[in-house]
Amino acid sequence: MTVTVGVDVGPTSTDAVLLDDTRPVAAVKVPSRPGDAIGSLAAAVEELPADVRARAVTLAVGLRVAARAVTERSGLAQVGVLRIGGAAADTVRPLFGWPDELRAAVCAGVANVAGGSGLAPLDGAPLDEAAVAAFGAELAGRAEAFAVSSVFSPADGAQERAAARILRERAGQDVPVLLSGEIGALGLIQRENATVLDAALCVLVARVADELTAALPGLGLAPGAGVLVTRHDGTLMSLDYLRRQPGLSLGSGPACTLRGAGLLAGVGDAVVVDVGERRARVGVLSGGYPREAAPGEHIGGVPVILRFPDLLTVDAAAHRDIAEAADRMQPAAGRLPVVLVGGGAHRVPDAALPGCDVVRPEHGDVAGAFGAAASPVGGSCERIVRRPDALDAVRDEVRELARASAVRAGADPRRVRTVLDPEEYVPYLPGAVLLRARASGPPAPL
Amino acid sequence: MREITLDNLDDIARGAGILGTGGGGDPYIGKLLAREAIRRNGPVRVVDIDEVPADATVVPVSGMGAPTVLLERVPNGGEELAALRALEKHLGRPATHIAPIEVGGVNSMLPIACAAEAGLPIVDGDAMGRAFPEAQMVLPGLIGVSNSPMALADDKGSTIIVEAVDNHAAEAIARAVCVELGCQISCADTVLRGDQLADGLVPATLTLAENLGAAVRAARAEHSDPVAAAVTMLDGVPLLTGKVVDVSRRTEGGFARGRARIEGTGADTGRVLELDFQNEHLLATRDGVTVATTPDLICVLDSETGEPVTTEGLRYGLRVSVLAARCDPRWTSPGGLALAGPRYFGYETDYLPFGS
Repeated sequence: MTVTVGVDVGPTSTDAVLLDDTRPVAAVKVPSRPGDAIGSLAAAVEELPADVRARAVTLAVGLRVAARAVTERSGLAQVGVLRIGGAAADTVRPLFGWPDELRAAVCAGVANVAGGSGLAPLDGAPLDEAAVAAFGAELAGRAEAFAVSSVFSPADGAQERAAARILRERAGQDVPVLLSGEIGALGLIQRENATVLDAALCVLVARVADELTAALPGLGLAPGAGVLVTRHDGTLMSLDYLRRQPGLSLGSGPACTLRGAGLLAGVGDAVVVDVGERRARVGVLSGGYPREAAPGEHIGGVPVILRFPDLLTVDAAAHRDIAEAADRMQPAAGRLPVVLVGGGAHRVPDAALPGCDVVRPEHGDVAGAFGAAASPVGGSCERIVRRPDALDAVRDEVRELARASAVRAGADPRRVRTVLDPEEYVPYLPGAVLLRARASGPPAPL
Repeated sequence: MREITLDNLDDIARGAGILGTGGGGDPYIGKLLAREAIRRNGPVRVVDIDEVPADATVVPVSGMGAPTVLLERVPNGGEELAALRALEKHLGRPATHIAPIEVGGVNSMLPIACAAEAGLPIVDGDAMGRAFPEAQMVLPGLIGVSNSPMALADDKGSTIIVEAVDNHAAEAIARAVCVELGCQISCADTVLRGDQLADGLVPATLTLAENLGAAVRAARAEHSDPVAAAVTMLDGVPLLTGKVVDVSRRTEGGFARGRARIEGTGADTGRVLELDFQNEHLLATRDGVTVATTPDLICVLDSETGEPVTTEGLRYGLRVSVLAARCDPRWTSPGGLALAGPRYFGYETDYLPFGS
């Protein structure tokens, strides 16, 4: 039996739960301590029964630190923004369209140097290493972190890695350098934006990760227990991975609530309504995963490429709006059960959702914490394949890269499962398809 | 609109998104390029088709390839200019006007950027009146205008001149080049004399795109129905308002085919619309009866915002309104239907005259 502690550090309360395999054992709720996420976490975990807690080998945590830093524009690092794309990528400058005050809070300097990859090796250009070195030297001592984004880096990240080496030589070996290729999705501007936010958050998040690591031995878990944190798609990642991609933890709260609601209700496919004090959020769980929103997500006014759960937010007191949103999220009329969770769920009567199979699971008020505890460690990869005859080989490669990304995030290499999403054809490119694989598995053993 | 400035680009892009009938690529990146080009070079002068001198050399410019790639390898806006210069060199005379090849999607914006960079006026009209996926699907082809010579340019400055035996061959050559050069290239082709514009182009489509975009924006601002505003502006007919309940995509006989099922809501409760799409929305079948086909425009809009829904963006649960609008009548001639009727796209259906 594997025991996991799940914690959801919210703005008003912090929830902690114990999960024995997939069985909920205990749940507690304590008031959050403003500005002290780790203190809140420790206070909640201490309320859990000590005997079961002592068998817990994993602590899975949902943090809101990163999301709050971006919306409040506080605690952000000054970032050196390097794009590798040359003249061909020079018109839409880095940080284009960012809110002025966020750009001012984040930007230590910007450069666009020659280089970049393509769909095929011939499409690329060599990296201007001297220009990278000059940028690193110019920002040495001023930039607390770098964000490096190269054209087509999800397909070939070699130039981003080379640039990172040069930047560290010039600006210091300890300066964090975040690479856009790790995000994996195509769309240079939005991927770069997400990488810059990652870099801006990395100092703050590293501090939180350090605090969490330091607090861990005092929490009364099994000796050597590991910590994982939640990310935006409702999977988990290690603290090391969080340090490289803090942005992945943005928006992880709703994803965990969706997953937790499914776990508690015993369903993999459902419409989930999370009713809070003022707002209700409605999302969909499909095959155990939160359904993703269409492209076009924003964080703090910045368009980013991260795929967040598809959510509708309505007034918690407007039951008609809740019913409308729940109906709207249904893949088809009345097909999926509607799982009601959250602290305000009891205020929404069944009659408000006519014709729906309403489920109100026990512990629904701490669904987010259960979602964190029950989530696997995840990874993903996507790739455009230009010619159908290459499809089989690339399919394996994409699966393998997704698997590797899950292992990097902390999954047990022997128990990772990969799933290929349905192939999507690429508009106006006859024969080409977009392949995307997702991987997930339990945390690597101690 | 006698000038395209920073102020009316947004409306044109929004309208062009709707006229793209689900395809044509998101105008967003193109709009950023056009904005930058106008900022550097000043507004672009717009001329009506009948203002263009008979001996003018009008060059349509466009991008070819995958919008997905455009979003990754963002162009610098000069690629269309490189294609234009290569074509001028081959022709031995300079272009006097730029024209859009299509008014739907990102290709509504790239010619604006090119016209700004080249310091040339842009013609208020285009060769399709909507968006289509292939280079030979243009009205000038119906009056014997060849799309050769065709100049192609990549983002590094390489250029190629295509002199093909016919318009289909030029498309095939250009597509192969496009794939080899990274799946996104720029084109200058289908050169028209000024006195061919009336027969070769659909008039006033940039103005239509702007008015359409403005009408949707205004309706949203005053909390009235943006879809109704679009229907009025296009003189179209609403087909169904409802919810997407199924989307399937597959490749069949060389065609990437998709189908969406939309169940009616509100006044349309109980009705069902099946939408067949490839790069664009091509057939609409309501309650088992075909109600609109290509080359007429089938536009899918978000019911609440009036924003266009692309074929890639179709997914479960989306609330959409489907509307149809009449294409340029030249498309419904036998020659026009051979280029862009339902059978060209592999459907066993004849063109359904609009509104019948």
